[in-house]
Order: sequence, then C-alpha cells, then structure tokens
Amino acid sequence: MAFIGIVMVGLFGALFTRLWYLQVLETEQFEVAAESNQVRIIITPPTRGRILDRHGVVLADNVRTGVVTYDYSRYSDQHTEAVLTELADLLDVPAGQLREGLADQRTHPLAPKVVATGLDEDGLLRVAERSIAGVEARWDWVRVYPQNEVGAHIVGYVGAMSERQHRELIEDGYLPYERVGRAGIEGLFEAELHGEAGRTKLEVDRQDRVQRILADVPPEPGHDIVLSIDVELQAAAESYLRQGLIAARKTVSEDSGFFYPALTGAAVVMDVRNGDVLAMVSHPTYDPTWMVEGLSLAEYQSVFENPYSPGALNNLAVQGTYSPGSVFKPVTALAGLEAGLISPRAAFHDVGYYEIPESRGCSGRCTFFNADRAALGTLDLSGALTRSSDAYFYKVSDDLYWIDGPEQWAIQDMARLLGFGAPTGVQLPFEKPGRVPDGEVKETLFELSPEAYNPYNEPARWFPGDNINTGIGQGFVASTPMQLANAYAAIANGGTLFSPNIVEAVVSRRAESFGEPVLEFEPRVLDIVDFPEGSSVVREGLSNVTNARLRGTAAKAFDGYDHAGYPVSGKTGTAQAQGLNAVLRRKKEDTAVFVAWAPSHDPRYAVAVVMEEAGYGGEAAAPVARRILEAVRAYEQRWPEPQIAFVPPQPECPSVPEALRGDPAFLGYVPEGCPWGIQLPRANTPTDADGDGIPDVDQIEGALPSRPARRTELTRRHRQAQRRTEGAR
Amino acid sequence: MIARLLNRAQTRRELQSPAWFADYSLALAAIVIALAGIAMNYTSTWRSLSFEGGDPWTVARRQAIFVGIGIVVMVVAAVVDYRVLRHYATPAYLAALGALAALLVWGPEIRSARSWFVLPGVGFQVQPSEFAKLVVIVSLAAFVASHEGYLRFDTLFNAGLLLVVPMVFIYLQPDLGTMLVFAAVAMGMLLVAGAQLRHIVVITLCGILALVLVFSIDALQGPRLLSETQRSRLTAFLDQDFEPLEASYNLRQSQIAIGAGGLWGQGWKQGTQTNLDLVPEQHNDFIFTALGEEFGLIGGTILLALYAYMSVRIWQIARIASDPFGRLLAVGVLSMLLFQVFQNIGMTIGIMPITGIPLPLMSHGGSGTITAFAAIGIVISVGARRYSL
Repeated sequence: MAFIGIVMVGLFGALFTRLWYLQVLETEQFEVAAESNQVRIIITPPTRGRILDRHGVVLADNVRTGVVTYDYSRYSDQHTEAVLTELADLLDVPAGQLREGLADQRTHPLAPKVVATGLDEDGLLRVAERSIAGVEARWDWVRVYPQNEVGAHIVGYVGAMSERQHRELIEDGYLPYERVGRAGIEGLFEAELHGEAGRTKLEVDRQDRVQRILADVPPEPGHDIVLSIDVELQAAAESYLRQGLIAARKTVSEDSGFFYPALTGAAVVMDVRNGDVLAMVSHPTYDPTWMVEGLSLAEYQSVFENPYSPGALNNLAVQGTYSPGSVFKPVTALAGLEAGLISPRAAFHDVGYYEIPESRGCSGRCTFFNADRAALGTLDLSGALTRSSDAYFYKVSDDLYWIDGPEQWAIQDMARLLGFGAPTGVQLPFEKPGRVPDGEVKETLFELSPEAYNPYNEPARWFPGDNINTGIGQGFVASTPMQLANAYAAIANGGTLFSPNIVEAVVSRRAESFGEPVLEFEPRVLDIVDFPEGSSVVREGLSNVTNARLRGTAAKAFDGYDHAGYPVSGKTGTAQAQGLNAVLRRKKEDTAVFVAWAPSHDPRYAVAVVMEEAGYGGEAAAPVARRILEAVRAYEQRWPEPQIAFVPPQPECPSVPEALRGDPAFLGYVPEGCPWGIQLPRANTPTDADGDGIPDVDQIEGALPSRPARRTELTRRHRQAQRRTEGAR
Repeated sequence: MIARLLNRAQTRRELQSPAWFADYSLALAAIVIALAGIAMNYTSTWRSLSFEGGDPWTVARRQAIFVGIGIVVMVVAAVVDYRVLRHYATPAYLAALGALAALLVWGPEIRSARSWFVLPGVGFQVQPSEFAKLVVIVSLAAFVASHEGYLRFDTLFNAGLLLVVPMVFIYLQPDLGTMLVFAAVAMGMLLVAGAQLRHIVVITLCGILALVLVFSIDALQGPRLLSETQRSRLTAFLDQDFEPLEASYNLRQSQIAIGAGGLWGQGWKQGTQTNLDLVPEQHNDFIFTALGEEFGLIGGTILLALYAYMSVRIWQIARIASDPFGRLLAVGVLSMLLFQVFQNIGMTIGIMPITGIPLPLMSHGGSGTITAFAAIGIVISVGARRYSL
C-alpha cells in the first residue's frame, strides 16, 4: 500500500513539474507559437506601373491573361498524372505541353508552376469549376513592351525571380510566381513600379476554414515611370546607328586590310539645357518581350552568347568604356587655357609630329606623330581642334607635364570637372565611372593587373608620354558615351554640368493621387564650371569641324547638310583600341567617335556616337551623328513648344551706353561673352548673318532669346543671372 | 444532541447505517471535476459548433446528461453493498468478454477502430471496453481476494489469464491505451494482493519484451503488428520533431496550447488554440489542453489537486477496508484513476506517448464518465461499509 502511495506522489509530482516547466518557464515561446498558428495571410499582387516616354507613349504595359497553375511539389506523381490528363482534356491541349510547364526552371522549385496561359474567361471558368486539388485558375498580368526593341536597354525587362531575390522579396510581400524587374528602369525602379501587395489577414482554424477577416488591405498599383526619352527619336537613333554599323562593315580598314567588324556601338542624345536624355541607344540590342515569354537555352545562347552580337544585354551607353580619342582634345584645350599655357590665337606650326625638347631630358619614346603623320601647317587653337592636330595637343600636354605646380594635372582636373572619371548619375543601373588617369591611377592599374597594363614591366611612374597620350584621349583614358555627351553639353551650355536625367517623374496611379507625381527629377546641376578666358575659341574650333572650307575632320560627313539652318559644333575621334578582337583574334580596329551639339550658336542638344572597331570618327561616326541631329531637328519641329526651358548661367554684363559701343578702348572693360565685349578677330568667319564683323558664334552668351521658363527648373542663381542679362539689354 | 449522536455512532459503529461513514468529499470532488469537465467540453466545442451553424451547447449538454446518469449510478453503487458484486463477477465478466468479442465481429469501424457499438435510435455510442475495465477490476478482485496474503505463481498465472483475454480483444480493436490501463490496474491489484515483487518484475519484463518485439518486428518490415496510427504516435513521442504535420501535430499543438496558457491562463473562452479547433479531439482525450490554455497553471494545479485528493481518499479507503475484496476493489479503482490521469495529462504535456485514453470524469463520453462514477461509487460503498461485517 505504501508503495502505491509513493507512486501516487511521484506521478502527481511529475505532472506538476512538467506543467510548471511549460506554463511558467517556457511560456513565452509557446505564446508566440500560438499566435502564428491561427493567422493566414493572403497576398494579392498589385498591377505593375507602366513606363512611358516624355510624351506619354507607352514603352511597358500590362495585359490581362488567364493562367492555370499547378502546385506539383505538394502532390504525388499519380495525382499529377491525373491532373494533367484532366487539364489536357479540359483545355484541349496535349498533356505533354502542360508537362513542359512543370519543368520550368526559372521559378522556385517549390513554387506553383504555370501549365497553361492565354486563357479567356470561359477557359478559366471551365478549369475553376472542377476544383482540382493543387490547380488554380486565375487572371494574371503579363508585361508587354509595345515598342519591342526600341529603348530596350533603357526600359529593361522583367523576369522570374532569382533564387536570392526569391528569398528576399517573398518577405516584402511578393508572390513566388511574380516577375520582377531584372534590368534597366524595370530593375532600378522595381520598388516604385511594383506597388504594394494587398494583404488579407485571416483567422483560420485547424482545417484552414476562415473564421474571421482580421484585416483587408487592397493592393496598391505601382507608379508609372515617365522617361525623358522621345520614342520616335529613340527609334530613329537606333536605326541610324545600326545602319552606320552595317555601312562600316562594308568598309575596308587601311590598317589591316580587312573589313571593319563594327559589331557594337552606342549613341546618346541629351538636352544641354537641363540634362534630359532624349535618346540612348546601344547596339546590339534585344526585344524585352523575349525575356518575358522566356527563351529556351538555345535561343538564349543564339542571342546573348553569340560572339557576333557581343553583350546584347549591356547598355553600352553607360556600361561601355572607350578611349575617347580626339574628342578629348577640347578638355586638353580648356586645361591649357586654364593653366595659362595657351594663347588661343598664337600660331603653332604642325610639322606632323611633336618631339619632347632635349632640355627636358627625355628618355624612351620622345617623338609623337600625328595620325597618318600628316603635317597640318600653321594653326591656332581653333584650327588645331577643327583639323584635329595631334601635335598641338602633344605640345600642350607635354608642357603641362613639366609645370611644377598644381597646374601639372590641369588635364585631369578639367576632365574631372567635366564629369569624366565618375558615373554621371543617370538613373540607370550598372553605370561605369570610366577613368581619368594620373600617377596614382597608373600605379593602381599596374599593381592590379600587370599582365594587361604592364606587359613589359615598366616602372609605374607617370611619364611625359603618359600625359601626352592622355591629352589626346588615348592611353588610360576611358569614358562612356554618356559621359562624352554630358561633357560636351557642359562645354556647349557655358559650363553647367548636369547629372543627366533619363527619368522625368514617377507618377502615382493610386486612386487618391491619380496622375500626381510622386517623385520629380528636376535638372540636377552637378557643378558649374568656370571656363577660362578663350573658351569661346574652343567652341569656335568645334563649330568649324563640319566646315569643308576650313577642312574640318567631319566636313565630308556633313556635306550637303543644312549648316545655316541647324549649325553643328562637334569633334571627331578615332581612338586606338587596346587588345585583340575576341572572335577574329587580331588587333582591334579603331573606335569611331563623334560628339557634337546643335545648333552651334544656341546649343540645345548634344549627341555622342561611339562605334567600336568601325574606323575613323569622321567617316563612320559622324554620318550617324549627322542623321541623328537631323532627326533631332525634326523632333524639335514636331514638338515646337520648348518642352523645358533652361537658361544656362550668363556672365554678368554691364550696361554700355550707346555712344561707347564698339569703342576699342572700352571693349576691354566688358567681360568676354557679353555684347560689346572683347570679340576676338578671326579671318574666316563662316556665319556672320548680320554683317557687323562679329561672328554669330560669339554672340551665343549674350544674345540668347528669353524662353518661357519652367519655374521649378531654375535654380535661384540661374534666375538672377537671367534677370541681370535682361537688365543689361 | 449532535455530540450524543456522534458518540453513539462511534461506540456502536457496526450497527450504524453505512451512510454515516460514507466519504461524501470523494463524491463531491468527483462531481466538481465532472462539472469542470462539462465547462471544458463547452469551451472546446462552442466555436466550431456555432461555426457549423449548430447549437454551441450540443456537446456540453450531452456530457451533462452523462454526468447526471453517472451521479445516479454512483449513488446506486454507493448504496449497494459492494460484497454482492462478488456474485455477479463471473456473469459480468463473461458478458463483457462477449461484448468485446461481438465488437470485433459486428462493431462498426469508427476512427479506424472497432471500439464502439452504436445504439440505434438514440444516436449514442457505447464503448464496452470502458465498462470492461470495471468488470475486470471486480472479477480480478473477486478471484484474488480469496488468495490474499501470498499469491503463488499459479494463482498469479490464472489471474493473468483472466486479464489477458479481454486485453487481447481490446488490442485487436485496436485500442492500445485501454489495454495499458488493464495492465496498470492488474499490476496495482496484484501487488497489493501480495504477489511477489519478483513475479511482477518477471511479468513486467515479459510485457516490455513483448512490446519491444512487436515494435521491432514491425520496424523490420515484418508482419504489421501495430497499426499505422499506433506506430506513428509512438515514433512521434520518441522523436518529437518527426513528421510535424502528421503524428506529432497533436503533441505539438497541445503543448503550444498549454504553454501559451502561462500562469493564469488566457481566460474563459479566450484560448486561441482551443477556439480555433487547432488541438484535435480536444473535448475527448485532449480536454486538459483547454483547461491548461484558458486557466493556466493555476487551473491545472487545482485539477491535479482534486485528482490527488481523490487518490488519497481512495488510498485511505483501501487501507481501512473491512475485507480483501473491498481493498482490492479500491486499489483497482485507484490504479485505474492514477494511470489514466497520469497517462492522459502526461501525453498532453509531452511526457507520455499519445494513446487514446480519456481523462476520467473530464473527457467527453458516456461510457467513460459513467464507468468512472460507478467506480467511485463502489469505492464509497467500500469505505462506508468498513465497519459492517
């Protein structure tokens, strides 16, 4: 009996101890478990925002389609077989086709797989009324790109989530089958485009029967993205670049005797007044629709791993870095002016080469030749730019090298001021910074990959030769087409460097704020560069590049062009490329570059064209730029209202009494660029419409017609400057 | 006056009516537990019943009826002299065997076991194995009482035979839990009856050996001796993270419910696990989880204290019973009560494997409740007649 008593005490003691453990010591853990036990959250995906061009043309949209999904991972193979047979019967498609959907590797292995798409309402109902276990018939939104490949690199595409995204995004309320932005604007603005998923919080019991709706938040649609590009201009630029590349492939290289490969290229059109990107082209390209529908491995390889269309997914306008070649020369010119080395009108004798004076103690390579060893004769700065005299800029760069002071790095400083060597900040992913080389950069490059940059094991010192190569945009200089257009825009507009905008605004589609901008990208002024005296000579030199009479390097390409109606300032570049062509296994051909703005006297649009392995800038790139500029002019006529008016900062001009105007003694007191200020004399003035002996080009700064200004886009400083100009008039 | 009456009662106890010596507190404790059981039956079913559009009181009302019948049965059992049960032991035993055998032949399969007869018309189910527990207690007590003091091995063997036949029938239903109750009851009774410890040890070892054998034959892909449910439940107990959605689901959910109750509980009708029907079979075998979640450690402790009080009173009655038959009856009931309480509460809090044993007086079910009340009534009868010859 006593034994039973002991057992009794023991049993009750054990029960109580365990109860104490569960209900006092571990209770918190179980409270959490109880909480999560009873709530189910149902996520309704939102409709994705659209992508529009600046005038509202749709580049990315959604269409509704009926889909059937099957959650095969939760059911047995026999059940799957039965389901597929039944669905095949219902939808009148072969079961094998449905089975292909199950093998889809692009979504998460455990996610329900889409087995049929493109159903209409009738089809959906037919599937839904059977209520087959694991099968869901629902409406789905499918991304469509109505403009197909036009602007593909800007717009990007959506695709199935990667494994990593799957893990991260599911927590943000994404559903496993949702497609997310994978490139371009679709990728960068994923958060804005996606919208907020709807969440219905349900209290359920053991059998998942709904007991109560705890919360019901409907989905919020994603925002629209308004781009600054114009679809027509974009399409024109794309076809001109493609045609230009095809034309280059029919040209024989003088260097190698082969046809130019001319596989890739990029072009950018931007508004110099506010930094808007009007068009951005990269070749080779693709159709984002392919990516939505999905490509088979073979199709994917044939498009994206084809050695004859390398890097179709890359937006070369911001991701491709090239030696700019001669288009870099205005930077060197401005640096020379800044350092006080260049007298703009001083005569220079181009004998076809430049030799580092012996007094400077040259070692190694001391003589630098012009392209084709051509001797261009006597030139000033303007002529050196017009005819692209290498010798002139060899001398400037060498002279700069030997200055003992901060001006030694004047080229590099000016390049950085104009936005080289750093991402421009345009709203596109994976933008490359390019490179502005100096001693440190060279050392780093030599250290990081000696086999690529230093095969002969040279000392990593910054030699005069390095500075000379940099001065003509060769050597270690690297820039993206976007940077080139942006720098030329700054040169054209008098020194305002923008961070270019390719996105104008993010516009709400939600009921309470429909059509209202959520986010507006106003012109972002990165820096206002104070150009040295004589910078108008640089602009003059560039304005003559298309002039046949002055033997400009792009004159041939602009033969027959309406110079009077839409004058172009620009610069050709023919950059030697390093390394071997990956497919052809021979030395790379030259990169053809042309950067320009128009109109010369009233800069509005800058264009940069870069064509890899396509030959001379003047022969391959300039014709493309010309046709793009003609398209830009047509665009301006199509949209005559100034869409956005931005007046670049003006020099402060004193008012000059009528009697004193033109008085040579007085001229020196008025800053350069103002009416009645110093006007540099010139022999051959191509455009002098009013016949006052003052070339039109130099009237740019003072004589800008006042345009209706959009208030928000003017910084206070710019408005003041404008007021002062008007006061002066 | 009262003092005089008491005095007379004490001096001439054996002439007094047994009603003077009946342990009313034992009956009271049983009734309190049963009432709490009705309340818990209600709280664990009202939500899903009203969700299905039914009367939320359906289950609780039925239980209340059972408790009412049970109380009547208890009173009757207490009033009747337990010694007459000796005469009915043999026919009752045979009747119980017959019922159990009939179950295996004609019993309908409910929840994958043939444990219930469905009474036509009334809609009630009768579980013969519950009544059989009491019948076996009485029969065993009657058989062993004459041999009390020193049980020889052959007596023990015969007693074992008496047990094994109904156990086999119940095993075949299959109802492992009730079978284990028989084993516990038998062990307690035989121990008290004077069985030698070594005999008990040998029998226990044989039992354990048999279980292990059954389980390992089963595990080795031999003939299936355990049913699917039995196997997975045992596995779930041994490895509590095994198959979270299948067998250990019950275990996990009941522990969550009890753990979430904390010290004071979530309050009457406030338990989410209980309300949302997340603990399966909650008004039956898992009724303790409803109490644990809604009334916490305090409620659980009070219930344990009531059971402990009952156990102590039954233990005392066993000690002072006037004859071996009465003592063995009390010990049998005590063993049954102890084992069922420990096994049932133990499985809800994860210290015992899950077996389908109801919590006496609390769990929903007519057969179990009436049997428990009848057993208490018999014990009261034993206690009340401790002085009568």
